[in-house]
Amino acid sequence: MFLTRSEYDRGVNTFSPEGRLFQVEYAIEAIKLGSTTVGVCTQEGVVLAVEKRVQSPLLESSSIEKIMEIDRHLGCAMSGLIADARTMIDHARVTSQNHAFTYDEKIKVESATQAVCDLALRFGESVHDEEAMMSRPFGVALLIAGVDENGPQLYHTDPSGTFVRYEAKAVGSGSEAAQSELQDKWHKQMTLKEAHVLTLRVLKQVMEEKLDYHNVQLAQVTSDKGFEILDEVRLKALIEDM
Amino acid sequence: MPDGSFAHPQQRQFNPYSENGGTILAIAGADFSVIAGDTRQSEGYSIQTRYAPKVFRLTDRAVLAVNGFAADGNVFVKKVKQRLEWYRHAHAKDMPLRAIARMIQTMLYAQRFFPYYVYNILGGIEEDGSGAVYSFDPVGSYEREACRAAGAAQSLVQPFLDNQIYFKNQQSLPGQSRPLHLPLPEVLSIVIDSFTSATERHIEVGDGLEMYVVLAKGRSIQGLESFRGVQELTPNPDGDRVFVIRRELKKD
Amino acid sequence: MDHFPTSWGRQRNDAYDAYNTYPLHQRPNPGHDAFADSVQHTQQPIVTGTSVLAIVYKDGIMMAADTLASYGSLARFKSIQRLHSVGTSTVIGASGDMSDFQYLQSILDELIISEFTEGDKHELGPEEIHEYLSRVMYGRRSKMNPLWNSLLVGGKKDGKRFLAYVDLLGTTYTASTLATGYGAYIALPLLRTAVEGRENDLTEEEARKILEESMRVLYYRDARSLDKYQIAIVNDEGVTISEPQKLVTSWGFAEGIRGYGAQTQ
Repeated sequence: MFLTRSEYDRGVNTFSPEGRLFQVEYAIEAIKLGSTTVGVCTQEGVVLAVEKRVQSPLLESSSIEKIMEIDRHLGCAMSGLIADARTMIDHARVTSQNHAFTYDEKIKVESATQAVCDLALRFGESVHDEEAMMSRPFGVALLIAGVDENGPQLYHTDPSGTFVRYEAKAVGSGSEAAQSELQDKWHKQMTLKEAHVLTLRVLKQVMEEKLDYHNVQLAQVTSDKGFEILDEVRLKALIEDM
Repeated sequence: MPDGSFAHPQQRQFNPYSENGGTILAIAGADFSVIAGDTRQSEGYSIQTRYAPKVFRLTDRAVLAVNGFAADGNVFVKKVKQRLEWYRHAHAKDMPLRAIARMIQTMLYAQRFFPYYVYNILGGIEEDGSGAVYSFDPVGSYEREACRAAGAAQSLVQPFLDNQIYFKNQQSLPGQSRPLHLPLPEVLSIVIDSFTSATERHIEVGDGLEMYVVLAKGRSIQGLESFRGVQELTPNPDGDRVFVIRRELKKD
Repeated sequence: MDHFPTSWGRQRNDAYDAYNTYPLHQRPNPGHDAFADSVQHTQQPIVTGTSVLAIVYKDGIMMAADTLASYGSLARFKSIQRLHSVGTSTVIGASGDMSDFQYLQSILDELIISEFTEGDKHELGPEEIHEYLSRVMYGRRSKMNPLWNSLLVGGKKDGKRFLAYVDLLGTTYTASTLATGYGAYIALPLLRTAVEGRENDLTEEEARKILEESMRVLYYRDARSLDKYQIAIVNDEGVTISEPQKLVTSWGFAEGIRGYGAQTQ
């Protein structure tokens, strides 16, 4: 499908005769190269897990940051071009703080997700005499986890600016296998502990290296404690339990 | 100066403000809130109209009373309503009362150096189902209270409320406890008494009285049924409910 | 990165609001108009019109104003029209600065034309005109550059009568009897006595008589008034503004007044 490059590949905002935006589709392809990222929603809270590809023994694995806090009640895991995600997370953080300042309440998970997606299709836009704010689509997919008045929720966003809510979602290179595993194993009454184990098992299945506390990262968002990244001690314990 | 000159250069400047009289007041109950205002609008000694509403329903659980410079007040209410609608579109829900209160503070403070000459009182039901009153100054200082009067007759009405609602300067009998919140019929008669008294003693108060009653979801209309001319404004009796009661005040 | 969607796609100005202190919906207004400092704003009215009166009656509304435009105490222009029809169902009457009023007339005439050219058969009624005028007046007062008028807006559309006031501060209100300027002190009590409670019974003739009598009292008492006035009527037939007519007055009573003036005893 992408073997023949055409003139519709040149402009980021040009539709092909079939009604497609190639650059957006390529961006979605870029995510499939990213490391596997998993999110699982339960009634107690949401769990996010990512694979960290430690490419060299000299690499300091703790410097790989693929799960970030947006607000006390919002977390985000990513797959694809991590640098692009920083812009989006930054926007989500400002939007969330702005909402808290103006309305004295936590922003809803869906509203924060919407705010991020509003950014996604603004590439190539420019005013007369000015450079465009962004030159290409974001090459990253986000799993946004949070707890608000509607309970724990998990949203998936992609470079087209589309967002969809999931009970459990996998993105990145191992996403196909991971997603079908999630479909098999996820159930409504799942506890947070079970979700921890499930995300680790799913990652373990699709990872090439052997899973240990260096090459995965786990985070959760719960209503009482909010967003937290699980530290080494808790992570080790979970891996042993698995 | 005797020679006709002036020691300092004089400048006559356009004054963009006016005062349009009237009084507003709100009292919170345990699971209801009453927000009231008279309907006279005046400037100086002239009555401009006998019916200009100062109390506005915002949502099914929030009512805003505005008092001061009428033009600012009307514009402010219009902007608040606009923001509530935008919020509804963006977040798929009605704005909660405390969020409205905070938003009003940011809107007022945004005009810190050219303020809306308006005293706001916001009443309604909080997310936890309790009755609430928020009062503001023109540049956005605000707090939640059990009751508040503002406007021309504030100095007449607020001491009365302090006495009747907070039991200030009342000796209680030993062993007798004071209620934190008064029942609805008592609150309504305090409101009516406040306005008839203010009408007697303040020339800018009178003509008509509008009392909005907000009842928390699930609360019976107990306390309203005996009232003449109660009009319900909300379409859904299963949620929070807003009622309005209108009364005549003296027109002299 | 600009976090405010309302600023997206607009000219950037990093020197302004670098810390994103503006809430989402508001757009900071960058740049400073270098000419603004030397622009003069109206500080006082110059050529002025006095009271306008208006009442609601059975078939619609009726408005009256004399035809004088004064320059201070000088009766400068004696046949200025201060009643103006806007569209087919509205009339406005103005007191205060006449040049500001004529400017408003031209704005409203343009508005009516641009609405007409939409070709959707939708017409602005008195309520819409009043709302629009109050936006204009409040907008100008907020720029500390007011249009120095008190205006009455009246009309009838779709069977509904409408009468309202708006002034240089953007203050608005409606009532079945209205008066601006001196008329608010002298004529309004007369109008209220004659009209309030009888809005649905007063005939055109009775309404005309009430206004004429009030205009006469004003002419006797208001030194900036004239005995030449016009009456505007808006009813189901549309807007009619009469030709200027003369007030019949008698000053014989003045002969009997003692205690001031030229008499010596």
